[in-house]
Amino acid sequence: MCCPKYLRLLTYKNNQAIMTRKLFSKTIQSIAFLLIFISELSAQNNDTDFLRSTGKIYSVVVAVVIIFLAIAAYLWRIDNKLTKLENIIKDEHKTS
Amino acid sequence: MWWKFLGVIIFLYVLIGGLCTPLNPGIVDANPTNVKGGQKVDIAIKTYNTHLSTSPTEAWLKQDDGHYVKANQLKVTNDNECVATFALPIDMEQKAHTLILHNDVDGSALLPDGIFVLKNEKPDSTYKASFETSTGKKLSKASGLRFPYRSILNETIRNTFFHVALWMAMFVLYVIALINGVKYLRTKDLRYDSKSAAYNKSGILFGMLGIVTGSLWARYTWGTWWTNDVKLNMATIAMFIYFGYLILRSSFTDEDKRARISAVFSIFAFVALIPLVFVIPRLTDSLHPGNGGNPALGGEDLDNTLRLFFYPAILAYILLGTWMAQLKYRLEQVEKKINEMTD
Repeated sequence: MCCPKYLRLLTYKNNQAIMTRKLFSKTIQSIAFLLIFISELSAQNNDTDFLRSTGKIYSVVVAVVIIFLAIAAYLWRIDNKLTKLENIIKDEHKTS
Repeated sequence: MWWKFLGVIIFLYVLIGGLCTPLNPGIVDANPTNVKGGQKVDIAIKTYNTHLSTSPTEAWLKQDDGHYVKANQLKVTNDNECVATFALPIDMEQKAHTLILHNDVDGSALLPDGIFVLKNEKPDSTYKASFETSTGKKLSKASGLRFPYRSILNETIRNTFFHVALWMAMFVLYVIALINGVKYLRTKDLRYDSKSAAYNKSGILFGMLGIVTGSLWARYTWGTWWTNDVKLNMATIAMFIYFGYLILRSSFTDEDKRARISAVFSIFAFVALIPLVFVIPRLTDSLHPGNGGNPALGGEDLDNTLRLFFYPAILAYILLGTWMAQLKYRLEQVEKKINEMTD
């Protein structure tokens, strides 16, 4: 009875490590995408530049969006971890 | 529980009010900026948020209180562009003059020290023009709640709520983490260590966001993603010290050792943070608005309309950060319990 539980915990920890690594690469990818997107918008460096139009208001909007995305990503991570724990508890109920 | 709702509501208030409140009318650009006294000049003026074509506008060049030159003629091209014709007196002082526009809808718009008047070496003796002692009417402000107009900053003055407030909130979160770290060292209760780490993590998230949003802002005001501004570099060093905290924590398997060392490290990190962020940037000049000797939270750079949203923004970020930290902390406690049960 002890071994399956131990194994379960081990796979849980392994999964978590893999998930973290995946999430990390995804985060890097999305940051890179965002940077490319922003630099694309600001490519022309003059008055016709979109982020510079209307008194540079869109650079503020982008800043707000970045903050929102970061907080959402943080919550997403917590959510994922919580789901893992819930699954362990569910398995526990099944086996017992 | 109530403070979570409070945090969300205040954040919404800051988001809506901070983005929807209009800016004061302002003068973006004047051309030419160098003129000679003792002759007629046409100055092309570009403005922001004004209604030049709907409301009759007047323009002045101000030398000092008591010496104004009124524009003889103002040709309006559209709402935000006009050409003012001034007859400059011969005896104008050789210095930067302030350009003033005024109409009843927008109130007054200024270009402080925007027009430099040079001495005319060969004045025309038949030419006559004189000063007026006042503008002749009381210059008013535009009605309603409006944020101040600053050249270059323009609409990005709203970043005060989203970027500057992040740093303030980060600092408060670090303080809470520090208090919990000290509590751990006094009681050896691992829950305090977990709490301290959670608050430090949300503080680090806010710091990273502060650097990213700041870098974006710098691109549109200073023209580059990164400069060697002292505040930027010191903040980055402070961030790296806190990254060190994360790496240190993950490199220990023994819980007690990890808790003890990270508590001590967070005390040192915090002690390093104060001179890096608060002292050194004030000893030298920084490019940041409101800097250069004196702290930023005074004078015209943070007027009362900005304060109306700036302080709530700090509070909202603190509450949201605390919420995120508590989620992390509670998750860790549950994780620990489950690990104990399955062992």
